[in-house]
Amino acid sequence: MKFSLDIKGTIAPFSAIARAFEHPKTICYPSQKKEKVDGYRGFHTNLLETCIGCANCQDVCMNDAIDMITITEEKNAKNNSGCIPRIDYGRCCWCSLCTDVCPPNSLKLESESIWANEDSNNFLYMPKDK
Amino acid sequence: MIENKENRVIKIFHGPQHPGITGNMSVELDLVGETIQKARTHVGYLHRGFEKLVERRTIIQAFTIVCRICVPEPDPNEENFARAIEGLAGIEISQRAKYIRVMVLEMARIGAQMLWMGGQSGSVGLGTVAQWSIYDRDLILDLFEELTGGRVYHMYIYPGGVRRELPDGFLDRLEQFLDYLEERLPKYDNIFFDNSTFKKRAIGVGVINQDEALKYGYVGQALRGCGIKRDVRKDNPYLVYDELDFDIPTFDGGDVYARALVRRQEIRESIKILRQVIKQMPTEGDIMQKIPKHRKFKIPKDDILVSSESARGEYNYYMAGDGSEKIRRMQVKGPSLIHGFTLLENMLKGEELSNVAMIMNSLGICPPEIER
Repeated sequence: MKFSLDIKGTIAPFSAIARAFEHPKTICYPSQKKEKVDGYRGFHTNLLETCIGCANCQDVCMNDAIDMITITEEKNAKNNSGCIPRIDYGRCCWCSLCTDVCPPNSLKLESESIWANEDSNNFLYMPKDK
Repeated sequence: MIENKENRVIKIFHGPQHPGITGNMSVELDLVGETIQKARTHVGYLHRGFEKLVERRTIIQAFTIVCRICVPEPDPNEENFARAIEGLAGIEISQRAKYIRVMVLEMARIGAQMLWMGGQSGSVGLGTVAQWSIYDRDLILDLFEELTGGRVYHMYIYPGGVRRELPDGFLDRLEQFLDYLEERLPKYDNIFFDNSTFKKRAIGVGVINQDEALKYGYVGQALRGCGIKRDVRKDNPYLVYDELDFDIPTFDGGDVYARALVRRQEIRESIKILRQVIKQMPTEGDIMQKIPKHRKFKIPKDDILVSSESARGEYNYYMAGDGSEKIRRMQVKGPSLIHGFTLLENMLKGEELSNVAMIMNSLGICPPEIER
């Protein structure tokens, strides 16, 4: 290989040292948490007051991640089916199509998105009533 | 250095679990010493079959699958899919939606180039560059998170327009990011593009000549890196690219370094495009046209071919409808198909083993595109 001295190309990379004196860009998780972003596609919430149990969300879900579960607690009077959606987070891809097709707009996604559990059955998630 | 005085051929697999590989694929290498005699690409580690998955789902459901065809840059897939459906269903989107789409595509292009910079620099042992570029890409992902609700898979460009209106002050934040990035780019030149280590490794390695590039149909930087000015955004403009002023950077040389310089310049061109988009974007207009509901959204018995320019080269989507709510056939051709097989196998012959990762990165091979 022919040797040629590239002075600029040899010295210039050392300018990276300046970065060492800048403020760190990383955050110390979990003591420090990332700011929540409005509109982030996280966990589902379902306002039971308005949910009509129409199962549109179940129909549109391409991953079959939504089951309609019968509930006994207080619900919307217009909910004739008596069912509300339950999400399987082992299948959900957070595409948010279920919230797009929700006629009363009761099903939404919140910014919360951290969930860890050793039992796979716990990934069947009942959306919070809010 | 492998001692091999008898010229014995040694077979090794580079990937699928090698840090230098660009995804779930492997290259089977026949080596004599450290020189590659023969290279064969093996795919099949993903088993995804996107095209078949799309055929089994309705149009609305299929839209969430296509972005997964390329992880580093999913948006051209979404845009191609949406444009093909709109072409078949006869939907005309508003000018504002077109501008937002261009904005998303160019942001994704910058993000993909930053990710490439991380991979390319890592493949030559310059880890610092990777740390920097991945951080800067994260700032783009923050913007995407705010705009679309997702960081990597945005699922934002939808048949009929885009899914969400821009958040308040988004364009200002985008402009601030562009200012920041423009300030950062000379620093990348110092530590990466002008770095003598990278130049010595990359110049004259993985050379493509113009005849070969045209004969086999190479795309993207493989083509522009050997001096051929070809880009779908200019040659066959889609969305509002014909209203925007930008150049197609080309470099002679055809080697890894020329392709790196093309990408370096493309980041600057994307910034230029984004600044124009911010300035020219109409403030009024529906971001979403009225489209039929889930089960009633049908496309006629017809077919269409759409193409676009991703950060790594030309994308083609062929789509055929049969009058139902499902797509009869969808075929995706990304840049990786030709680059991952023909180009990589030819190029690696006679190269050193240590250059494999660098060459793969320079070609931007993405295995899900091959196993689509």
